Amino acid sequence: MSGAKTSTRPRLASARLGMPRPPQLPALKARLQRGRELSGEVLRNPLTLAGCLVIAAFLLMAALAPILTTPNTPDAYQMPRDWQAIDAPPGSPGHLLGTTSTGGDVLYGIIWGARKSLQLSVMVVGIAVLIGVIVGSLAGFVGGRLDEILMRTVDVFLAIPELIFALAIAAALGTSFTNIILALAVVFWVKYARIIRGQIIHVKQNEYVEAARAIGDSRLRIYLKDVLPNSITPVTVQATLDMGSVVLIGATLSFIGLAESGLTEWGVLVATGQSDVIAGKWWVSTFAGLAIFLWALAFNLVGDGLRDVFDPKSQRR
Amino acid sequence: MNAQPVAAVDDLRVHFHTSRGVVRAVDGVSFQVNESEVLGLVGETGCGKSVTARSLLRLLPSPPAEYVGGRILFSTPGRGVVDLLTLSDEEIRGIRGDRIAMIFQDPSKALNPAMPVGRQVGEVFLQHRADHLLERAGVGLEELDPVSRGLLSRAAGERSRAPERPLLRLPRLRGRWRRIRAALDESVAQALADTRIPTPLKIMRSYPHELSGGMKQRVMIAQALACDPDLLIADEPTTALDVTIQARILDLIRELQQRRRTAVLYITHDLSLVRRLCDRVTVMYAGRIAERAGTGDVFGRPLHPYTRGLLGAMPARAGRDGRLVAIRGSVSEVLNGDPGCRFAPRCPHAGAVCRRRDPALVAHGEPGHEAACFLHEHLDDVAPGERPSPEPVR
Repeated sequence: MSGAKTSTRPRLASARLGMPRPPQLPALKARLQRGRELSGEVLRNPLTLAGCLVIAAFLLMAALAPILTTPNTPDAYQMPRDWQAIDAPPGSPGHLLGTTSTGGDVLYGIIWGARKSLQLSVMVVGIAVLIGVIVGSLAGFVGGRLDEILMRTVDVFLAIPELIFALAIAAALGTSFTNIILALAVVFWVKYARIIRGQIIHVKQNEYVEAARAIGDSRLRIYLKDVLPNSITPVTVQATLDMGSVVLIGATLSFIGLAESGLTEWGVLVATGQSDVIAGKWWVSTFAGLAIFLWALAFNLVGDGLRDVFDPKSQRR
Repeated sequence: MNAQPVAAVDDLRVHFHTSRGVVRAVDGVSFQVNESEVLGLVGETGCGKSVTARSLLRLLPSPPAEYVGGRILFSTPGRGVVDLLTLSDEEIRGIRGDRIAMIFQDPSKALNPAMPVGRQVGEVFLQHRADHLLERAGVGLEELDPVSRGLLSRAAGERSRAPERPLLRLPRLRGRWRRIRAALDESVAQALADTRIPTPLKIMRSYPHELSGGMKQRVMIAQALACDPDLLIADEPTTALDVTIQARILDLIRELQQRRRTAVLYITHDLSLVRRLCDRVTVMYAGRIAERAGTGDVFGRPLHPYTRGLLGAMPARAGRDGRLVAIRGSVSEVLNGDPGCRFAPRCPHAGAVCRRRDPALVAHGEPGHEAACFLHEHLDDVAPGERPSPEPVR
């Protein structure tokens, strides 16, 4: 039955033109190739490469957490308690990086903390980018009155220092890790709104936008097809940089005590070990702090590398 | 010579509202473009030729632009004559790219850098030829249930809602959807092959930055002619190209235009291109028409001092001493209603009357040869000392 239908199909133009049939998904192929070229360019910078390796190590650690350690029951994100080994120094049997004053294994905290950090940064940056792109697009693409209203709102948000603003919101919402995520998302979206608005105002003046109007495209289609894809690059750079700074500020908030105590979160861990540092028990705060430092550094290196490739004008030297 | 008019611009007035006042960019311009003819719209930068051309597609952003008056009548087979200025946004979108298409000045700026050029040419088919694509793919819509029919025809017109996209992967629709995309690819390849692109399948997968300027302009021409429009607007399509490529693109436009009997509105400041391509010429100055005639008449017997000035500035027509004659000054922006001829401040012939009264477009000599200049009128009511002098005064 299907064979009969095939024969009634009109003859292919490619056959008439003496050309091979167009392969499926040519666009995807070209995009993959472009992706390969770009990633090659990014990874040529040794610092960026180092950043990528550190991030890869953290991701691997987060993914393999249940294999690397025995998950604590009932909640794997609570520090386990080993009352036989309180304040054990690094290198103790079974506790490679030592334990806290309540017998929590520092290595366990850092490994499961990587999951928390990933959760934090992905959620915060995800929500912030989503809200920021929607608000910024409306302001930039629609313009006029709406632009004024939205951007003045953004200005209000920007007038308050990041950390203090997040602190106030998280404190008002109550002590929990979820509230830290919400508070940070509320603080971080404004940057994206401004970036995307500026980009869109710049991009929509391009002649290809007029050319798209000249072939009869609707406004929504022009936005999705021509304006947004050409405006989004700086957002990806900023998002990468923010993946690091979100964890930094998030750790600050949990250090102050806005996350549940005993949580396998790097900021909480630093706070736990903090009072013992004077007593010579340096390992808890140091290793947790090192994890925060490496995470933030790695994403900053990669973000800088991306910016240098996407916008060669900002390159130093 | 009983050519049908495709588009008739009638007393078009376009104003721009700026912080310095109202700029009358186009001020009472009338002309018509006939079937299968190339009309050249000539003038220097700022004379309103691009604004006129964009008005035909209603591409001017408003504000600041405002269509103050006039009509643009456009006749399309089957739909009768419509005034483009009164159509709804939806209706004008149906005409853009389908019945009236445009080629832009700089092909490297007029193509989206983030998308393979094939998809950009395909966009025209998706916007205007969804039915044709379905037919060409042999989808057999009538055999399907109404829901699948709706899904496929929306997909072929790029009007799918985002959540229904994955439904096209269902076994029942997958094969048909793939055939629609194959039909689209074939249509694009054919459109590209029509503009003499040697390897259309390779080119359509390339991004604009991977192509040369001439190749990009061919892609733009393919996109513009994809739906076989009645009117093609070409806004200085060779200005941004290498001289060696220019001639080939011109020949291509001429050849495609003759084969398809398309009417072309060719905008340029380069008179040598006009001579090569156009059947008739309209010379604009500061938002008004200065002179219009058949191409031969414009070059043989130019009437308006501005046209003469433009001809004198052509390298091929340089005087015996090999020097080009430039027109003094530059186009002044028309902000406030000056009563006189707009060219008077730069005109070597201008008399007192030229600064006081505005000349109308009047026929002189050959049929269809018109100029707006007192130099060729019998001004009985004007004192001889106030008339324009036949000899240039410098």
